[in-house]
Amino acid sequence: MNVVEASGLGKQYGSTWALRDCSLAIPAGHVTALVGPNGAGKTTLLQLVVGLAAPSAGGVAVLGGRWPGSPAALDGIAFVAQETPLYKNLSAADMLHLTRNLNRRFDQASAEARLAELGIPLQRKAGRLSGGQQAQLALTLALARRPRLLVLDEPVAMLDPIARHDFMATVLTAAVDDGVSVLLSSHVLVELERVADYLIVLSRGRLQMAGELDDLLASHRVLTGPAAEAGRYAERPVVHVRRAAAQAHLLVRATVDDPVPPGWEAHPVGLEELALAYLREPGAAALPGPARSRQAEPSEVTR
Amino acid sequence: MTLDKDDSEAARPAAPIEFRLDAASGVPTYLQLVHQVEHALRLGYLKPGDQLPKVRDVVASLAINPNTVLKAYRELETKGLTAGRPGQGTFIEATLSQVALPELSALRRSLSGWLSTADEAGLDENGIVALFTSALRDFYERRRGSRTGGGAASGRTEGVA
Amino acid sequence: MTAMTALTVPARLEEDASLRPVPWRRMAWVTWRQHRVALGGVAALLGALAVYVWILGLQLHHAYAAATTCNPASSACADLITNFNFMNHVLVGGYTLQLVPPLIGAFVGAPVLARELETGTFRYAWTQGFGRSRWALGKLVALAVVVTATAGAFSVLVSWYYQPYFAATGHPALDLSEASPFSLALFDLRGVVFALGTLAAFAIGGLAGMLIRRVVPAIVATLAAYTGLALVAANLLRQHYLSPLLTKAVNVPGSAWIMSQWWTKGGRFAFTSWRDAPNHLIQLCVALPAGPLGKPSQETLAQCFAQHGYTQLTSYQPAGRFWAFQWIEGGWLLALSVLLIAATVWVVSRRAA
Repeated sequence: MNVVEASGLGKQYGSTWALRDCSLAIPAGHVTALVGPNGAGKTTLLQLVVGLAAPSAGGVAVLGGRWPGSPAALDGIAFVAQETPLYKNLSAADMLHLTRNLNRRFDQASAEARLAELGIPLQRKAGRLSGGQQAQLALTLALARRPRLLVLDEPVAMLDPIARHDFMATVLTAAVDDGVSVLLSSHVLVELERVADYLIVLSRGRLQMAGELDDLLASHRVLTGPAAEAGRYAERPVVHVRRAAAQAHLLVRATVDDPVPPGWEAHPVGLEELALAYLREPGAAALPGPARSRQAEPSEVTR
Repeated sequence: MTLDKDDSEAARPAAPIEFRLDAASGVPTYLQLVHQVEHALRLGYLKPGDQLPKVRDVVASLAINPNTVLKAYRELETKGLTAGRPGQGTFIEATLSQVALPELSALRRSLSGWLSTADEAGLDENGIVALFTSALRDFYERRRGSRTGGGAASGRTEGVA
Repeated sequence: MTAMTALTVPARLEEDASLRPVPWRRMAWVTWRQHRVALGGVAALLGALAVYVWILGLQLHHAYAAATTCNPASSACADLITNFNFMNHVLVGGYTLQLVPPLIGAFVGAPVLARELETGTFRYAWTQGFGRSRWALGKLVALAVVVTATAGAFSVLVSWYYQPYFAATGHPALDLSEASPFSLALFDLRGVVFALGTLAAFAIGGLAGMLIRRVVPAIVATLAAYTGLALVAANLLRQHYLSPLLTKAVNVPGSAWIMSQWWTKGGRFAFTSWRDAPNHLIQLCVALPAGPLGKPSQETLAQCFAQHGYTQLTSYQPAGRFWAFQWIEGGWLLALSVLLIAATVWVVSRRAA
């Protein structure tokens, strides 16, 4: 089952397309990272997935073909928006009661246990909790609904490192325990590599990369060699070039089995380097499926 | 969804080792886990019959993707070091294969020879280490790739032909 | 090859093939918990006003009872009658009670949706299993019922206050004839119009909150819109509910709503006010002996004009039509409220983030 399927999905605000021509299929059972600079369209995509916005073009289906606003979709998807909206003058206990009333399924016992373990007092108003506690409370409410898909919009942007770690540990533990699929957006790349196993890269409203993280990393290499020879590889699928006076690094589509030209070295690529390279190349794309890639001449960064 | 630490400690025997993560090392996470198991075996922290930490516990303490842990445990299984028992966990089955002493001596001699060659070529210590590390990594990547049927080169991503 | 994931998609079956919706009654607690401050404010406001009306009303009723049961011949009775006549028959501050429906409507109705949109909590509320349209409908209807019932109870109290003036049995000496049930201070406070006006204000508030998306501007807009509506209703619409009656009688009861009066001669319109009468008529009639107020009374003038062949026509609504007018006005207020609430829910269902 695909937790999210989009086909030509687009969203227009006024005369601006926040998201355009987005087609992807995220399989279930993954932790998916949605990555891109500010304004790339991440929040728009997430809002389309959870039913807070309606498409201007194309369509999106969730949880195996359901429409995002449908009762089944609302039931099976839990969303934590940016800056974790909670009712500031309600206590944690009130928020539990509220969420229980508004949903079909709610695991009150485990939610209370979780909050006790985190040291979040049940009677304190939500507005007086720390940022990390508010995020954990919102996450606890979302997970207590026993969703099939958990959608998080920049969940850890405002959190300190410990709070971040605890938050992601909770999310990932839920993925193990309950088989929850996770879709989270972030513009911080550093920690995503050990957290995500499916990657989506958006840039300026367009989809640049989508696929299993292992596949994407395994299908790219960095070739380092003499700058003078860098132009020779124009015909190979080169994604990004960084050139100095004597040395050049080429990010290419290649695997570990592809032969390395003499005089050149090949290195594996990490998520951050890969994502940044694609983000610097608006014309490049690595998308699954036929006829979905397009590539212009890679621009060169000269130092 | 409860992290019932007390329950787990009382009801199940604790795993002998804990994993740690070195985010700056550049080594893929799952490989770090594999290495730590092998290292623990070598040093005696783990013996055949011991249980590896549960996937859930590793995820909870390191905040890493569960598939990474599964991948590491599968790698260990492929190497013959562990075996999974359904419903119970992953257990150590064997120790690291011992290489026979004469073979070790022969390997060491050929290694010394190579080192002399490298030194004569002008490579310094860091250069030798870098070259060796890179070749080692590629060797195992290729071996893993061929073992899983060349999956790394699957046509999932396309470029301009 | 992609790693086989053991993040098993749960094998549990779809809970229901056709999911039963979350029950409506859950919205009761939700609405109460989120709006109890506003509802408490309404209770406090109406409670305080009710105490005020109750105290004044007791005084009025006692004076009325005393004045009507005393022996008309006794001198003490004359004092009681005078005492009653001097009591204000328009409730002191009665005009300020007109503010109650728009205040309730604005402060209870506008924040329902505006606050969610302003603080961003709609991103939580509209992604819960309950569904945004049902959530909005449940809240609006629950609050509407509470607000209307409370206002209705209050207007019953106000009607009780005015009972002496509209009692079936009159009393010759009591000054009862000046209270017309159609007067502005009375019509909007009695019957069903007070409650349904509050409902309409609430419904306006709900829609304003949804369209404007900010609490304070929505409150202001609601007050403005309701004021406009009330003015239109009182000054433009109300007079057309039923065709007025025409009479040639000179003494039209003070309880009636007089729409217009004019003089005719020989079946044709002559003039409206005595000041526009032809000069010769003025000289003839205005020169009559002065009454106690220093000039001829209206009745004397009228008799004089009549002697010269002029007939006064009055178009009016009798006091007995009070309830008919109440039902008509209440009816369209109710229809308007239903329409506004439906429109609000429709906008909720349409609104993109």
